[in-house]
Amino acid sequence: MNAQLRQTVQRGGQTSLRGAIEIVDVVKSYDQGGASVQAVDHCSLSIPAGEICMIVGPSGCGKTTLLNAIAGFHGIDGGAITLDGRTLCGQGRPKAEIGADRIVVFQNGALFPWKTNLDNVAFGPIVQKRLTKAEAYEKARELMAEAGLSGHERAYPGELSSGLQRRVEIVRALMNDPAVLLLDEPYRALDALTKSVMHEALLETYYRTGVTIFFITHDLEEAIFLGHRVVAMTSRPCRPKRIFEIDIPHPRSYDALTSTRFRELAAEISACVDEEAIKSFALGEREG
Amino acid sequence: MPQAAPSNALTLLDAKALVAAALPFGGLTEATQTALAESFEQAHYASGETIYAAGALSDDLFIVARGAVRLQRKDVALESETIVSRGSAFGWTALAEGAARRNRAIAIGATVLLRLRGAKLVDLAANDPGPGRISCDDVIAAIRAIQQPPPARKTAKTATPWRLQLKLFQAGEWLRSPKPYLMLLGYAALFGFWHLAVEVLRLPRFAEMPGPSDVFREWISDNPIYGVSLHTSVYYHHILISLRRVALAFIFATALGVPTGLLLGWSKTFRDYVFPLFEMLRPIPILAWVPLSIIMLPGSELPVLFLTFLASFFATALNTMLGVKSIDPSLALAAQCLGASRWQVFRHVIAPGALPFIFTGLQISIGVSWFSLVAAEMVSGQFGLGYLINTSYTMVQYPTIVIAMITLGAVGAVTSVAVRLAGSWLMDWRGRHLATSGAR
Repeated sequence: MNAQLRQTVQRGGQTSLRGAIEIVDVVKSYDQGGASVQAVDHCSLSIPAGEICMIVGPSGCGKTTLLNAIAGFHGIDGGAITLDGRTLCGQGRPKAEIGADRIVVFQNGALFPWKTNLDNVAFGPIVQKRLTKAEAYEKARELMAEAGLSGHERAYPGELSSGLQRRVEIVRALMNDPAVLLLDEPYRALDALTKSVMHEALLETYYRTGVTIFFITHDLEEAIFLGHRVVAMTSRPCRPKRIFEIDIPHPRSYDALTSTRFRELAAEISACVDEEAIKSFALGEREG
Repeated sequence: MPQAAPSNALTLLDAKALVAAALPFGGLTEATQTALAESFEQAHYASGETIYAAGALSDDLFIVARGAVRLQRKDVALESETIVSRGSAFGWTALAEGAARRNRAIAIGATVLLRLRGAKLVDLAANDPGPGRISCDDVIAAIRAIQQPPPARKTAKTATPWRLQLKLFQAGEWLRSPKPYLMLLGYAALFGFWHLAVEVLRLPRFAEMPGPSDVFREWISDNPIYGVSLHTSVYYHHILISLRRVALAFIFATALGVPTGLLLGWSKTFRDYVFPLFEMLRPIPILAWVPLSIIMLPGSELPVLFLTFLASFFATALNTMLGVKSIDPSLALAAQCLGASRWQVFRHVIAPGALPFIFTGLQISIGVSWFSLVAAEMVSGQFGLGYLINTSYTMVQYPTIVIAMITLGAVGAVTSVAVRLAGSWLMDWRGRHLATSGAR
């Protein structure tokens, strides 16, 4: 990638890139056994285009609810969410339309087990009829080669390790040139070694594409290593408690983990998150 | 055609690192390595452009500096494809003077290659004073050896179908395992008990029961006492009639049951209308349907078909519905995210995702259809194995009953296996998944 783009994505926020998300005063409650539970309460967050925004917070605090609202999996009760100035949901339209400009990578992976990896990757442009089959396969092969997945085209997802599966899934998302990637703890089930490989691969992808990344995680190291900013959420109802600027320059490598600045940030964020986790634990929140 | 190198060309240092990593000539002296790197030229290819065709005269060796290259190979016996990614070399045939290309090479994406004349490399390596020369000579010799046309008999051997070899190997494994002998023991136990109880001990309740030797003699007789044996056409007529009825009923039950089940699982509205009704009708035994179907349907053939169809339909529809419900909801969401319409989600996620359960349903369905066929044939219809059992009973032709029973079992087992094979053929992904995860 060229130096100009690298600089642009270094700190996000440049108008030339797509994927700026504005979350304004969003409220969402849902029914749990007859009782109304407030999951998100007057939550506002502004994510500039091309930022890697890491969301951390106690289990069950409503982070996923927020992600699902952006993706359009369910509606909101109040407030608004916009993408590049276009209202996704808000006044008069409680539920965003699901679209290929915002693609979710799920916690447990959602590759179609009955399609080969190549068919999985080519799926988006083909069903949208944006590319012909031949073009879609060509592009899919190209992107898979770039991501180091050559040779796995004809295999089924079940034949790959879970780390490689996650990589295929991200390539499948990138096939659609999304403005935003919404990741919901995608590396939760991976072992530490695989995780670090995945982190570097994700950053490499990011430097190439400059896509905005909304990333939910429990892992503070992961949050600091990847993010431009780390948003610590309150326990339910969920809203940003504190936003941490991660001033470690991009592009990052794993050396960043041992730097003093990294340790300082980790201590600071961990203190902030622990406080909420204790509150949440006292309230008896369940995992999820 | 390769274009002229643009300004952001690779530096000599980059080229040197690539050459050192891609070529297995580590032992060459520093001077030779530099000379090598210097003599490489850069070539640029657009996505999809052919770098060389199979059979072309090979003179150049390539290293991928950017992008990737697909090597396609078509032989008599196999068709294969390799991807060469950044930092690897290809086109080794250039080291064997005057050899033809074995593969077709195509650029994937915008690709930058380092190109070197094979003769030049051989020349440089040969003049190297260091110990690396030896390893280099070895590599070149090995590549030339591969290029020699293989003896004719060897090609014939690789051309034998590997599937057949695999089957033969599996059959051999099966014969070496205890499985077939345990199976024979199981059969021997049943027939032994039958023989003992009827023909040797003559147990009280077995007095009317024909012994295995009676049945067997009748079965293979040229001139059977009761008119049915392997040598009479009426025996095959009964089998064919039954098979045809089961096939028709099974096809209808599948054609209606699978869509009904998919709809039941997929559409909440449809489920709310239909499922309560479905659950009330499903437990009614087939025999309870006999009077109504005889009264309402014309002829004797239709009632039999309807009864056979009914039980299969319920088994298929219910399992299909459960199959749809078993699908991870995030798969459907993921498909929607990628831009699939409601119909495309159905086609690409719901239907294939339910397939494992559908085939479980069809396994049950084929079994149930034989079961209800015999029940139906015993009360209505002409010909068929169920009819044969019933008439033999009223006419006191007991060996024929047993012949019909064993025939039913064998034919039923064959149809069941056929359904299972169809399932594993359609669900290739599942077999491969299970095979690699070691679950089978």
